[in-house]
This record gives sequence, C-alpha cells and structure tokens, in this order.
Amino acid sequence: MAKIITVYGPLLFRAMGQTLLLALCGLFFACILGLIFGLMSVLKSRVCNVIAAVFVDVIRGVPMIVLAYFIYFGIPYFMNNILGSRGFTLTALQAGSACLALNCGAYMAEIIRAGIQSVDKGQMEAARSLGLPYWRAMLRVVMPQAIRTMIPSIINQFIITLKDTSILSVIGFPELVNTAKNVVSITYMSFQTWGIVAVMYLTVITILSRVAKILERRLNRGRE
Amino acid sequence: MAANKEKRKLSASPAVTAPEAKRNMVNKEKVKIHVSHLKKSFGKLEVLKDISNDIYEGEVVVIIGPSGSGKSTFLRCLNRLEDITGGEVVVDGVDITGKKVNINRFRENIGMVFQHFNLFPHMDVLRNITLAPVDLKKMSKEEAQKKGMELLERVGLAEKAKVYPPQLSGGQKQRVAIARALAMNPDIMLFDEPTSALDPEMVGEVLQVMKELAGMGMTMLVVTHEIGFAREVASRVIFMDDGYIVEEGTPDEIFNHPKEPRTIDFLNKVL
Repeated sequence: MAKIITVYGPLLFRAMGQTLLLALCGLFFACILGLIFGLMSVLKSRVCNVIAAVFVDVIRGVPMIVLAYFIYFGIPYFMNNILGSRGFTLTALQAGSACLALNCGAYMAEIIRAGIQSVDKGQMEAARSLGLPYWRAMLRVVMPQAIRTMIPSIINQFIITLKDTSILSVIGFPELVNTAKNVVSITYMSFQTWGIVAVMYLTVITILSRVAKILERRLNRGRE
Repeated sequence: MAANKEKRKLSASPAVTAPEAKRNMVNKEKVKIHVSHLKKSFGKLEVLKDISNDIYEGEVVVIIGPSGSGKSTFLRCLNRLEDITGGEVVVDGVDITGKKVNINRFRENIGMVFQHFNLFPHMDVLRNITLAPVDLKKMSKEEAQKKGMELLERVGLAEKAKVYPPQLSGGQKQRVAIARALAMNPDIMLFDEPTSALDPEMVGEVLQVMKELAGMGMTMLVVTHEIGFAREVASRVIFMDDGYIVEEGTPDEIFNHPKEPRTIDFLNKVL
C-alpha cells in the first residue's frame, strides 16, 4: 500500500489531473451543445424541434463506449479511406472531449428543455406583451427562473460525466483508470491500486457536490 | 373636467344611466383598433368565428359572455399573443397581422393585464415595472425608476417597491401588474379577467385602480364577470357567445333592455 502511494502516487495524481482536464473540456462543449439543442426543442419551429429530438434520441440510444470507438477510430478511417484526405488523426483528448460533449450535451439538452418548460407560460406572455422580443424575454425572464430548477439536475449530470471519463480509457487517454490499469499490470496490487483510485474519485466528487450545494443555496437566496 | 365631476357624482349611484357622462370622452373620430372578420382556430376548434368591431379612442369596452365564448382569445388576438387564422386587426392604422410588422413596437403601446398577474417572481416590484422601459431603451434607469415609483404611488403600493412578488397579496399583485403595464406609456390597455383569481375582498381595490384609469381617458378593453364595474364604467358592453359578438350597446341597453335571447339567458344566470 505504502509502496503504491510513494512510488505511483504522483503518477496517479497527474492522471487525475488528466481526468479533470478531459471532463472540463467535455463539459464546456456539452453546455454549449445542451443550450443549443435545449433551446431548439422549445422553439416554435417544427424543424428545430425534430432536429433536437433526433439528436437526443440518437445519442441516448448509443452506448458511450461505442460512440468513443466510433469517433476515435471510425471518423479518421472515414476521412482517410472514404473521403480520401491524408493523415487525418484525432488525439485521444479531442476524441474523448467530443464523445463526452455529445453524450453529456444530449442529457443537458433534456434538462434545459424541461427547465424552460417548467416556467409558467404566462411569464413569457407577460414579457412579450410589454414589447420585449422573444430572445430578450427568454434571457431576462424565463431563463433566470428556469436555471434555478435546472441546477440540481445539471450538477448531477456533471458528476455522471466526470465518472464517465473512465470509459475513455478504452481509447487510450491517460486518465485515472487507464493509468491505474498500467500500475496494476506492473505491481499486481489490484486491491490497493483500485482502492486508492476509488477514494480519489470519491474525494473529488464529494468536493464538487459540496461546492455545488453552496452555489445552489446562494442562487436561491432572496426567494422564499 | 366636467366629465370627471360627473363621474364622481355617478359613481355614488352606479345603477343610474351612467354611460351618458363618459361617452363624452370617447373620440368617435379616431378608431384605435379596427377588427374585421377576425377568425381564430386552435387546430380543429374554431374559437372566434367572425368578429368585426371598431374600438374608438377613450372607449372603455367591457366584454362579457359565458366561458368558452372566445372573450379572452379575442383580447389576445389584439396584441397578437395569439396568431390569428383569418381577417385583420388594425391598430392605429397599421395591420398588425402582417408578416413584416414589428409586433414588439406595437405591443409597447398596448398594455396587458392577466388573470394570473404573471409578475416576474425573481425581480422585486420596482424592477418588474422598470424592466421593459429600461431594457428596450425607452427610458434611462433613473427615469424608469422615478416613473415606476409614480405608478406605484398611483396604485397605492409605493412602500412595496423593494418587495418580491410572492410576498404580496393577490390584489396587490394585480395592482403591481397594472403599474407594470402602464410603465411603457401604452395608449390602449387590455384586461383579461383581472379580478377572477382574486379573493372577493380584494376585487374592489383592483377595480378602483381600473376606474381611475378609465377616468383619465385610457382606451380600455376589459374581459370581466364584474357586472357592477361594467355598469358603472363601461362606455360600451359587448356580449360574446360561441365565437361571435351577439349583442353590443351601452350598459343600459345590454343590462336593462337586452334584445337577443342568448344575452337575456346569460344575464339571467349571472345577475
């Protein structure tokens, strides 16, 4: 146990850093995708609604590990062997972030859609009746109320995504699980190594939830 | 002035032929809203079948009728909260149903008050009122706040400026909602059952604010079940049923001498 910590501790710590980097990249783009598709699903446009629904259904219906393989191996193959471009490659970080962004983005879109729809329709009508354009009304009146109901679900989704980074060990990204596998294959100490890895995940996620709780409480202040 | 004095006297005895005094204030030269052959369907359900009417400047038009008769929908078509299916709605000489019309500019001139108030719960009362004028750059923040306080004064709620809507009573909420609608200096006000969601003891305070507004010459369309208010304040009463305007006239004509059987039937039920 002590040997794992002293010898491989720094390595595992750096791997945790990579995990967080990957999660952060993924979450950043997931928020953008979620916002775009979430708003598309509440717009009064059939075309936008259908596009958003198809996106969510497709991503939800494909296991993330398949999505990871598809992006990391499938897309370069498609570009090089079918479209005929030369030497197109994706780094594991690029492919991994894209995979997380798509996966988390689909769920975020659903959270954002539900959040917006939970706001009483009269709010939008009142804002529009005052002469505010649609997007102004959305930004000033609907979104601030929607975000409050969305926050717990968004935090939950962030935590799930952080844990899902472990799946991306399959495309060789040097995150925590991948690194731990290597440590085990050298030391054969699976009990100790996986135990430490579990505690590391647990610590980071606990800190994250606590911070999120404080943030949530602060946002809800001023409302009864 | 004279009209105002007359009104004071009349409000003491509302049942007498009240409209005479107020009709003076109606400017029959100027049509504010011209509605012709308005139709509105929700899917297969035809809610408004064929509505034509002219609303003149300074008129207080009260719309009554059984539920499901299309009163609220009619009101909501006038600021295009509902897209109309057919016909035209012309406000100040411009057809607002046209695709190219900047509807937001027209809505600035048409205030609306809703049955369920629809105040913004995440903003304090004053911010509720100043949001639109400031955001649409119609006034500076200071101007809007000054105007907001004046309006709150007028509806008797100046001391509630910094309170959040969930802490207000229903009557107070609706008075704030009226102040909010007035902040954009509209020249037409639409009231969609403004007292229907209120406890009985709070109805009076809201109607009082509306009466004062009418006294100042605002063009108003009011969907309501308050027959007393209609008798006292309306310059014209419209009775709607089944997507049509069945009968219209002065409060005296409608309430004391209705002609259509459906109007008589309805009034028998509510009076």
